[in-house]
Amino acid sequence: MADVKQADTADSEDASKRFARKGRISPVYFTIALLVVVGLLFYLGNRNFLSLYNLNTIISFSAILLMVALGQMCTILVGGIDLSVGGLVSFISVVFILLIKPLGYLAYPACLVIGMIVGYINGSILTRIRIPSFIATLATGGILTSLAYIVSPRPVNLAPANYDVVDGIVNGKLLNVSNVLYIGFAVLVLFYVILRFTSTGRNIFYVGSNIKMSWMSGISITKTRNIAFILSGLGAALTGLLISSIRYGGDPMVGNAYVLNSIAAVVVGGTALTGGAGGVVNTLFGAIFMSMLDNGMNVVGINQYFQQAILGGMVIISVTLTFDRTKTPIVK
Amino acid sequence: MSDTSKGANQDTVVVLRQITKVYPGVVALDRVDLAIHKNEVVGLVGENGAGKSVLMKIMVGLVQPDEGTIVLRGQQTTLRDPSNAIKSGIGMVFQDGSLVPNLSVTENLFLCHEVDFRKVGILSLRAMRDAARELLAQMKLDIDVDLPVAEISPADRQMVEIARLLWLSQQYGQENPVLILDEPTTVLADAERNRLFSILQDIKNQASVILISHRLQEILENSDRIVVLKDGRNVTEISASKAKLSRIEQLMVGHSFSADRFQEDEQAMPGEREILSVENLSMAGLFEPLSFTVREGEIVGLVGLVGSGKEEVCSCIAGLEKADTGGVFLDGRKLPSGSPSGAVSAGIGHIPIDRRSEGLALMMSVAENVNLLVLNRLKTAGFLSPAREKKNAHYWISECQIKTPSIGTLCVNLSGGNQQKTVISKWLSSRVRLLILDHPTRGVDVGAKDEIYKLIRKLAKEGIGMLIMCDTLEEDIGLASRMLVMKDGRLVKEVDSSPQKKPTPQDIIGLIV
Repeated sequence: MADVKQADTADSEDASKRFARKGRISPVYFTIALLVVVGLLFYLGNRNFLSLYNLNTIISFSAILLMVALGQMCTILVGGIDLSVGGLVSFISVVFILLIKPLGYLAYPACLVIGMIVGYINGSILTRIRIPSFIATLATGGILTSLAYIVSPRPVNLAPANYDVVDGIVNGKLLNVSNVLYIGFAVLVLFYVILRFTSTGRNIFYVGSNIKMSWMSGISITKTRNIAFILSGLGAALTGLLISSIRYGGDPMVGNAYVLNSIAAVVVGGTALTGGAGGVVNTLFGAIFMSMLDNGMNVVGINQYFQQAILGGMVIISVTLTFDRTKTPIVK
Repeated sequence: MSDTSKGANQDTVVVLRQITKVYPGVVALDRVDLAIHKNEVVGLVGENGAGKSVLMKIMVGLVQPDEGTIVLRGQQTTLRDPSNAIKSGIGMVFQDGSLVPNLSVTENLFLCHEVDFRKVGILSLRAMRDAARELLAQMKLDIDVDLPVAEISPADRQMVEIARLLWLSQQYGQENPVLILDEPTTVLADAERNRLFSILQDIKNQASVILISHRLQEILENSDRIVVLKDGRNVTEISASKAKLSRIEQLMVGHSFSADRFQEDEQAMPGEREILSVENLSMAGLFEPLSFTVREGEIVGLVGLVGSGKEEVCSCIAGLEKADTGGVFLDGRKLPSGSPSGAVSAGIGHIPIDRRSEGLALMMSVAENVNLLVLNRLKTAGFLSPAREKKNAHYWISECQIKTPSIGTLCVNLSGGNQQKTVISKWLSSRVRLLILDHPTRGVDVGAKDEIYKLIRKLAKEGIGMLIMCDTLEEDIGLASRMLVMKDGRLVKEVDSSPQKKPTPQDIIGLIV
């Protein structure tokens, strides 16, 4: 469009207004609409789907997925991807249980720090060794999965003597609402504030939207990308913590599903894989949608063998609705 | 105009009728007509933003017109995409080339059509190579068909592209194909240019050629007919033999060049204080050590051919490249070499030539782009304040007269001129001391150009020093108060360009080449 001229005819004014309005329908509304429609279908299949107990389950699972998805979203927004989250969730899951014995409550901050260090390493492989994040995190994800097995080849249970550590924080309740939800909400707010109200958060969008322009404008590409990956490590570590707390035990395989599920939650919410566009609220609804699908298919009794196929189909349908392809002529 | 009568006769290959294309906020083409006859070279001229590129993109199916019809060899057609267009015998040689650099000349020539050289189910490389040699020989070209395209000269690359298009249309049984050459000579040396045109005259026997060029002299000498576009409309078409350079220039611009176009009355005397001083700056192989200064409110034009080193000098000052010797001083302080963030925080702004890929976050809003450099100033208690962000964006949108439906509009939906004003306002907002303007009016329509000139004058009055490289010499001369002429990596001359003492383009061109 470099070669076009400004026109002051009424026609083109209208055209530009139409376009502007169309551009403003946020993809998140499509996600919400899909959420309602699919939820209704599950409800028709089994009235218990909307029972208080089941809704609570869905929301808890959403909160767990949300942590890792929010981190994943940061790396996608900055124009990368984090495939190591699965390995990291598994690793943290077992390390957390093992650390509770010697460290007690300090196991929580210790695991968060480990997660952020892993994120920093991922970021540095991208920014300093200059290996694309897709490959870098694929590799570190493998390393982390192995580490998880080395630390604990089999699922490990928390000693009952230490139950108070997880009961005191994650499994507690306040006003009859599970603490998992409060934690989920707090992390949601944290990511929202970082992305919306800090320079670093804004820089993540600038770099994802146009990296060359950002570099020429003096934004530190290295720092911004590292922070995005640190946030991803933090999110994955939180997910690992929550899973182990709820189960009173760690499992070196538990993270596997979270690579694809976190990416799916991000894109289903309407965040573009090309970077620079999307947000926390999108990912919230994406995570709820993915968790609801997972739960709903079990509640209405869909054959286990079909579930992955349906999940895949729903991802395609929802991305069809939320992703604005008109602006990207060639999709890779 | 006498030539249009020919439009109806059977020699016509393709006719575009009443083509209209509207982009958000801009009408790119407004009922444009174009007819191409057999065996002719048509020169298509117009300023940047006149609609040439869009029109050509429509001809090769890259862009679909909103209204109007395309009649190809007497039949109305729709050109869905470039492969569809080439099947119909219309192909384009793009400005930046569309060959695969790592593949050989042969492989490029027959890319995606290797099947035609199958022998017993296996590709015969020898048959391909022979066919490639024969094809190039027909065009009297001597190119090693085994070399990767990256290793042959730009001129040869163009020839290969032309040969490929001719071969393809032959393959699809299209007689007299239409070849579109978009600015074919910008990357060529003089000798290569002459060779291109002599080959074009040969090709004319079997094809029609549409020639787009900013060098009007070239168009005059090598086309049979000249079509002038202005602001997305047909202005006129004349046979080249009757045309005069000055007349075409006038038709393109719509008015003759004059002092008031560049707001010369507004040209203020630069201040005394030196803002920028460049000392013995050099980059090996690109430019020799050179020194100059820019004073407060001074507009310094940097002129020279592509390859003269002027672009690299600017990149060095902006910190995008590392200098080999010397240094850049802003207000007496030396800047770190090769650090854009160092240059930006010291107060050097850079308006890049390609605003879409280097100047803007296109998929982000006008406000987010304007505020990019000043986020730290828009905070309350350590956090970005939406209210202050809004205020800053509104202030600069009205200050720079950016026409946008709202501050939340995505930059991709603005016209070229308003995008450029957004880039400029981003730097102004950061209280820049020295601004490098790399072709600030490229791809901007005429009206917006005037506004950008006004903006530049205003900046100078506020004391901002500027280094400017323009699309045309007239623009350089009109805007600058002093000009530095570069040639082959050397600073060869300094020319005064204060009001009333402006040199003519002819004076300068002699120094450049």
